[in-house]
Amino acid sequence: MNLPKLKINISCLKALFTQKTFYTSLTSKNLICLILSLIAMGTLSGCKPVQKITHNAITYCSESSPAFFNPQLDTSSTTADASAHQIYDRLLEFNPENGKIEPGLASSWLVSNDGLIYTFQLRRNVKFHKTDYFTPNRNFNADDVIFSINRWRLPSHPFHNVNGGSYPYFASLNLSETIKEVKRINGYRIEISLFKPDSSFLANLATDFSVILSAEYADYLLEKGQPSKLDVQPIGTGPYKFVYYQQNQYIRYERHAEYFLPIKGSEHLIFDITTKSSLRMAKLITGECDAVAFPSQNDLAVIADREDLTLLEKPGLNIGFWAFNTSKAPFNNPKVRRALSLAVDKTSILDAIYLGQAIRAKNIVPSASWAYQTNTKELGYNPVRARELLDEAGVPYNFTMDIWAMPVQRAYNPNAAKMAELIQQYLKDVGITANIVSYDWAIFRENLTAGMHDSVLIGWNADNGDPDNFYRPLLTCDAIPSGTNRAMWCNRDYDKIIIQALSTDNFEQRKALYHQANTLLFQEMPIMPIAHAYQYQAVRSNIQGLDINSFGGIRFDDVVKTP
Amino acid sequence: MIKLLIRYFNLMVITIFALIVLSFLLPYLFPGDLLTNVSGIVPQSELQREALAKAYRLDQSYFSQFQLYLSNLFSGNWGVSSVSQLDLLEEIKRAFPATLELVIYALLVATFVGIPVGFISGLKHHNPADFSVVTFSIVGYSFPVFWLALLFITIFCLQLQWLPISGRVDLLYEVQHQTGFVIIDIWLSGLDNTKDAYLNALRHAILPTLSIAVVTTALFIRFTRRSTMDVMEKGYIIAAKSRGFTQRQIFFKHGFKNALIPILPILALQISTLITNAMIVENIFSWPGIGYWLIQAIYQQDYPAIRAGMLVVALFVLTLTITIEFITRALDPTKEETARAAV
Amino acid sequence: MQRFSLYQEEFHPSPLANVWIEFKRSHLAVFGLIILGLFLLVTILAPIISPYDPYMQNTNTILLPPVWEPNGSISHFFGTDALGRDVLSRLLYGIRVTFGSSLIIVGIAVFIGVGFGALAGLLSGIKSSVVNHLFDSIMSIPTLLIAIVVVAILGTGLANAIFAITLALVPQFIHQTRSFVKSELTKDYVTLDKLDGAGPVRIFFKSILPNMVELIVVQATIALSIAMIDISALGFLSLGAQTPSIELGQILSESLDSAYVTPWLVALPGIFILLMVLSVNMVGEGLRSALRNRFNH
Repeated sequence: MNLPKLKINISCLKALFTQKTFYTSLTSKNLICLILSLIAMGTLSGCKPVQKITHNAITYCSESSPAFFNPQLDTSSTTADASAHQIYDRLLEFNPENGKIEPGLASSWLVSNDGLIYTFQLRRNVKFHKTDYFTPNRNFNADDVIFSINRWRLPSHPFHNVNGGSYPYFASLNLSETIKEVKRINGYRIEISLFKPDSSFLANLATDFSVILSAEYADYLLEKGQPSKLDVQPIGTGPYKFVYYQQNQYIRYERHAEYFLPIKGSEHLIFDITTKSSLRMAKLITGECDAVAFPSQNDLAVIADREDLTLLEKPGLNIGFWAFNTSKAPFNNPKVRRALSLAVDKTSILDAIYLGQAIRAKNIVPSASWAYQTNTKELGYNPVRARELLDEAGVPYNFTMDIWAMPVQRAYNPNAAKMAELIQQYLKDVGITANIVSYDWAIFRENLTAGMHDSVLIGWNADNGDPDNFYRPLLTCDAIPSGTNRAMWCNRDYDKIIIQALSTDNFEQRKALYHQANTLLFQEMPIMPIAHAYQYQAVRSNIQGLDINSFGGIRFDDVVKTP
Repeated sequence: MIKLLIRYFNLMVITIFALIVLSFLLPYLFPGDLLTNVSGIVPQSELQREALAKAYRLDQSYFSQFQLYLSNLFSGNWGVSSVSQLDLLEEIKRAFPATLELVIYALLVATFVGIPVGFISGLKHHNPADFSVVTFSIVGYSFPVFWLALLFITIFCLQLQWLPISGRVDLLYEVQHQTGFVIIDIWLSGLDNTKDAYLNALRHAILPTLSIAVVTTALFIRFTRRSTMDVMEKGYIIAAKSRGFTQRQIFFKHGFKNALIPILPILALQISTLITNAMIVENIFSWPGIGYWLIQAIYQQDYPAIRAGMLVVALFVLTLTITIEFITRALDPTKEETARAAV
Repeated sequence: MQRFSLYQEEFHPSPLANVWIEFKRSHLAVFGLIILGLFLLVTILAPIISPYDPYMQNTNTILLPPVWEPNGSISHFFGTDALGRDVLSRLLYGIRVTFGSSLIIVGIAVFIGVGFGALAGLLSGIKSSVVNHLFDSIMSIPTLLIAIVVVAILGTGLANAIFAITLALVPQFIHQTRSFVKSELTKDYVTLDKLDGAGPVRIFFKSILPNMVELIVVQATIALSIAMIDISALGFLSLGAQTPSIELGQILSESLDSAYVTPWLVALPGIFILLMVLSVNMVGEGLRSALRNRFNH
């Protein structure tokens, strides 16, 4: 073999093994290198050092596939992550720092003295995305707002039944019954009137779910006879436009060049869908991901230790819980629910699943909320008492029940399958056989909404700072069909308290009412609160500008990568 | 010869027909709603349900349903996934070439490493080098591929950080799907950094290829070694030796051909094993092949997808097997049966 | 007092003894046999020899390192897993399930395969040809594919995985038996039997089967190693064994959650699977060369 060729070959190998200098290439002439050089010689005529086009593209490894590219249709945070702050904007936005409501597509707003009429002045010169599949002919205006709200509000709307026709967040709050009318004053001013005052209304307009779609695009699709594309090939005003989505694999976005705000974010954005947390961690280390969703609790210390990785953390506005399907016997009996809660040692869950990175949950709101009750009562661990209660309720030994464990990681429950295994053993001690059930995330939620479960390990992440965002969607009667009330628990007294709390702006009054609700929940125990967990995000250290968004989906508009 | 051709053609037709019948029956066996299993569509209303049932002839006899299934199958109307509502034929066209690509890489490695090593070891059997080759090969084909893949990831990706873990090519390269073979697709995509893209694709392919190539290489070594040993003990070789030819001359003149020909069909049949292993390994390296796709379909209870994927993979493997058998028999009619599974 | 023989007696070992003598000459094969024996012992005795209940959780001691790590302790030889369960005990139970179910699979496959194979071999003509061709074809369908279809129909679980793998392994026994029976039927000793008036059943059980045992044993070792790899692969892909049953492949996939901090949890089950398959293959290899050598002598 002549010498220069060999040299080229070795530099090829060097290039092959990335940025790292491949010192050992001369000494370790093992089989693998031989094969590699053979393949390399075969496929490449010449060879020059590899320069990856890593600038101007951010790869985020997300945990699951979104159901749609429209958060109106789905409360899952995966859907929100993939669309809410990338593709869309809302009339109002939360300040990521303090949760205060700020202008979004609405530049200003007025609320009438009786709290029934809201007037929004809309921003001008906001452009919708121009893509391969749609070219907008006009800027954002009042028609888009009316379309976006009426779509979920009015069952008669031509787009209401497109893609399932269920709008779980709005339905769980019964918002379509709250809004009386959405009126166009002029092209850039709209007026929303309510039937009754709602102290959380503005906050709800700022949540991930209240996105603004393009009415022009919808008309265009209707004309083409493909209305369902609205939520699959989305058009919005947001900082990134949708390019391509391959189910279970990746989502590709491109920066919206004419975004109405100046943004620093990179030219390209890629969501690399990686369901296993161990694989996400590995890809973060190899640099295949710039940022990962939900790093495993086990790896947090490693991430914090490594220089090339950064761990972001924030106390989460969330709750992880174990919900009992109260529509099914014997879980319709509060005694049974209390017994099950007594049978499980919460401390060990906090130790083994959250590895101490969570605060023990006593009721459903976390301590960061103003409605938090310090002196709330809590059921401790008492298997003997649990068995007594089960006997009283007539639950026999070897009673079999299902524990559904959600298949994705969430801050509020980093590993539901492990948690279910833990609980399984505790239940065995009180003579209950538990089966662990899990499905793919989309099917899992579908079956939950249908009420096929006995009990489920799941949780809730706040969409806004109002405690009503916990109390109402999680446990009111209206939230059962919309699929956010996982306990299928309907208690008129509870509903009355929650609605009463909403009709006033007086904090002390509301607080007292929520404490009253806590007491009721303690007695009824439709869910066993487990933990309020810290939120984590792991990024490579050359990524700047990524913050944890306490109120919903991740945002990339200001995320940059330094070489 | 004609008789043989007809026999194998018949066998092929019968087998394919049997598979199609089996795949036709699957939706009736799968749990869940028959209508969804057949069509991939979850009916939103009674009206739609009735229309769908009518369209799929569920109100008619099984025979008529089978007729419809056949005509749909041949006209390329394979239905949609019940989860993503994407066209199944398109999805399979996307996923299956990825698997084939991986299998071809591994087959190349196994051929260019396994056969030469097997020859050398067979010629020099019962010396230390041969012993270590035999040991390597027996350990090699005892490896559970999924664990080997994890081992490779730990060493080459996490410790040494030499190679990437997942996918076929970095997502930063906007390689458009056209043929499904990434090598061709990169070419067709006309990127301004085609060379980098190729290198990147190569780096992605190394570990998955090696993970499945190890087992097959080990098997290739064994087959070749055994065959060489057998051939070199044959009368005509000994006769040539006694006439004073050197070992090298004898091997290249007689041994090589005679050792290789009988095992070629056995080696070709390893493609089935390779596909199985590729389907497992794809799940570890997130290689977007048919294995990854099918396992996702299982997790998501996407029965139409399982049915279509199963049909394609089984058809491919069976057609290949029967063709190889036919060629072997055609070339050497004295051969009664193709030896198989004899390690 | 020791008796001595005046004349040197010729020693004629039986064919089986002959195989054993040849087998013993290969150290590798004997080594494999010993390891295989150990695995068998573990399979039988797992509940007795495991130091802890494999389900016993202790959340105060989670992810303890194994004994050779600086912080390891002898009380948990291989450390503990993410729920504080003793890894050694879990692995022993895992071996029991993986090895045991592989044995069951091969047992059933041999039983059914030899039965059908003999039937196909004894019945000649069109019936045999159809059976022959169909099974030949089915044989080349990848196991994983069969398993996916079975799991899709019946759901996940160890029993279904066993069913699927058995289904995939049966055809090769049918194939082997059938071609063996067919080739033996043309031999003189069978013709002699026939002339003596023996029916096909008698011919098979009295004449052919004894000659076939070795072939089946060799084929069974191959099938056993395939079964082990397949059952753990299905466990790994979460299509096979599910919690609470304990299986090596499933332990492996569960430990991936903490792979970066506790790599030994991923390494150990893999090593055991490898050792198990390796020992079976070494024994199989030893058997095959022993048989080959016997024929050569």
